[in-house]
Amino acid sequence: MPEVMPETVVVGAARAGRFATVLIVTGSAILAVVALAAIVAPLLTGWGPTEIDPLGTLVPPGPGHPLGTDANGMDVWSRLLYAGRLDLGIAVAGVAAAVVAGTALGLVAGYLGGWVDDVLMRVVDVFQAFPTFILALAVAALVGNGTGNLIAVIAAVNAPAYARLVRAEVRTVRESSFVAASVTSGASTFGVLWRHVLPNSLTPVRVIAPLNAGWAMLTLAGLSFLGLGVTVPAAEWGAMISLGSPDVVAGRWWTSVPPGLVLLICVLGFSLLGEGLQERAEAKRR
Amino acid sequence: MRIARFVGRRLLQLIPVLLGVVVLTFLLVRVLPGDPIRTILGPNATPEDAAAARARYGLDQPMVKQFLDYLGGLVTGDLGTSIQSGTSVGAEIGLRIGPTFELVVLALAVALVVAVLLGVWSARHADRAGDHGVRLAALVGNSMPEFWLGLVLILVGYSVLGWFPAPSGRVDPDTNLTPLTGADLLDAALTLNGPAFGSALAHLILPVATLSIVVVAPLLRSVRASALEVLHSEPYVAATAHGLRGRTLLRGYLLRATLARLPSLAALVFGTSIGSTVLVEYVFSWQGFGQWALRGLLYRDYPVVQASVLVIAFCYVVVFLIADVVQAVLDPRVQI
Repeated sequence: MPEVMPETVVVGAARAGRFATVLIVTGSAILAVVALAAIVAPLLTGWGPTEIDPLGTLVPPGPGHPLGTDANGMDVWSRLLYAGRLDLGIAVAGVAAAVVAGTALGLVAGYLGGWVDDVLMRVVDVFQAFPTFILALAVAALVGNGTGNLIAVIAAVNAPAYARLVRAEVRTVRESSFVAASVTSGASTFGVLWRHVLPNSLTPVRVIAPLNAGWAMLTLAGLSFLGLGVTVPAAEWGAMISLGSPDVVAGRWWTSVPPGLVLLICVLGFSLLGEGLQERAEAKRR
Repeated sequence: MRIARFVGRRLLQLIPVLLGVVVLTFLLVRVLPGDPIRTILGPNATPEDAAAARARYGLDQPMVKQFLDYLGGLVTGDLGTSIQSGTSVGAEIGLRIGPTFELVVLALAVALVVAVLLGVWSARHADRAGDHGVRLAALVGNSMPEFWLGLVLILVGYSVLGWFPAPSGRVDPDTNLTPLTGADLLDAALTLNGPAFGSALAHLILPVATLSIVVVAPLLRSVRASALEVLHSEPYVAATAHGLRGRTLLRGYLLRATLARLPSLAALVFGTSIGSTVLVEYVFSWQGFGQWALRGLLYRDYPVVQASVLVIAFCYVVVFLIADVVQAVLDPRVQI
């Protein structure tokens, strides 16, 4: 039995690696298609995202409007395409800001330790005493809903998790001999952090960030659905679903089903990408 | 005894966190823009009216005095008075928490059962077609906007098929249900009101299904992963090698070891389900705690916002505590 073990492990790792690649490619492809569609939206539709068709509201899908019009008489297909700009843009920018802020905090807390660490981590504790969406809801309701504010909300609710994650990594890296060598050879604190500690503490962040971007899209759409995020007439999937929700009871599917479906597919893209990165990281560790 | 001491110590540790939550919410609602008085008085109010209303709710006092009054009230169990409705916040919570608990408890129960059954099955058939199907479904569930799923279920279940009642209200008013706890299904069962029980159940199915689908996905993934780990663990392999019967293997070795990892996970999932509940209540006009808290937030009803945030944070941390205790009971290796 033991003689066979190494080979099976290698075969298993190779298979896991291939599977990870499939996930990463599929996820990236989905995201690329959605992003591309959002960018070249003007080529794919004749209607503007907030242009009103004077001939009718709630027109069913047909030749003039591939996915019909909503209660305001705006073309659903056009809004669906343009919405990707806000949805992807805000989610990705928000998570990027969360990564930067959280990493900086975690780096400082983990490396300096002492009272700085204590104070920062207690603040993180308070933030993490809430479910993320509830926190986002409260902050968004209080600060209001401009695009910049929404990016800040996404960043603020996600940053604590990165701070905790990076801090834990930093505390291990801090003890390694190459850091000690760098310190004794007279490198500045900033130099040590930037050149040695930071690059070696980012592995978990790289895996979590794509998954996080998917959740951020759900958070944003959820906020918009409740009227606390992007508001109509701006094109955003959650706001579109919100506007279309009364139609559902009357059996009109085209105003709310398509935006939700695209949102789901897009979040799935991020999930697949994150899953793939995780599998790859695990395969490497074995 | 050890458990009692552990719970006591953990409860003490909660005090600074909850105090932080109290201070933070108190400051945030007041510092950030928005004024509860303006929203109740309307646009035609004179500055004198506004000043009078402000004085009535103690909002003209210095911030420190307001905070100490609020804290004093909290210690004696008084959560304040809603600026919007003028009634006691504690009483309103009592009215609203029942329906929400009913929804969350049922959804979590369904999700836990489904996650354990499917997760263990999937792990035992790892890397076969069925397993791939389950994993894909879990991934889709994990990416699902719950509010949209609710709408799709309403579209199919109510508008197209007509099998379920319209998404408004929790029980048919014609059934004359006597409210006791606010959880309609429980009330109907307690008062032996058959028609009300049926009506409450019919109203519950779609929202519970919505919530359980989004909750089951992360649970399922973790159950599968931990069952897989158990299947490859030395004790399990040894038990198989000794030729133990399938049933003994499943019950004694696989299920128990898998379940021991579940509590902390369930607590985490409970956290996300609170956020989803707000959205699901909104979609189904459920009139529960989530909708009440959301309205308070929109109208800047300070006492309501403060109380609902505190209640949520409290539930969240207490659930984690319960999870740790259950884990310790299930898994003798856990030292507390």
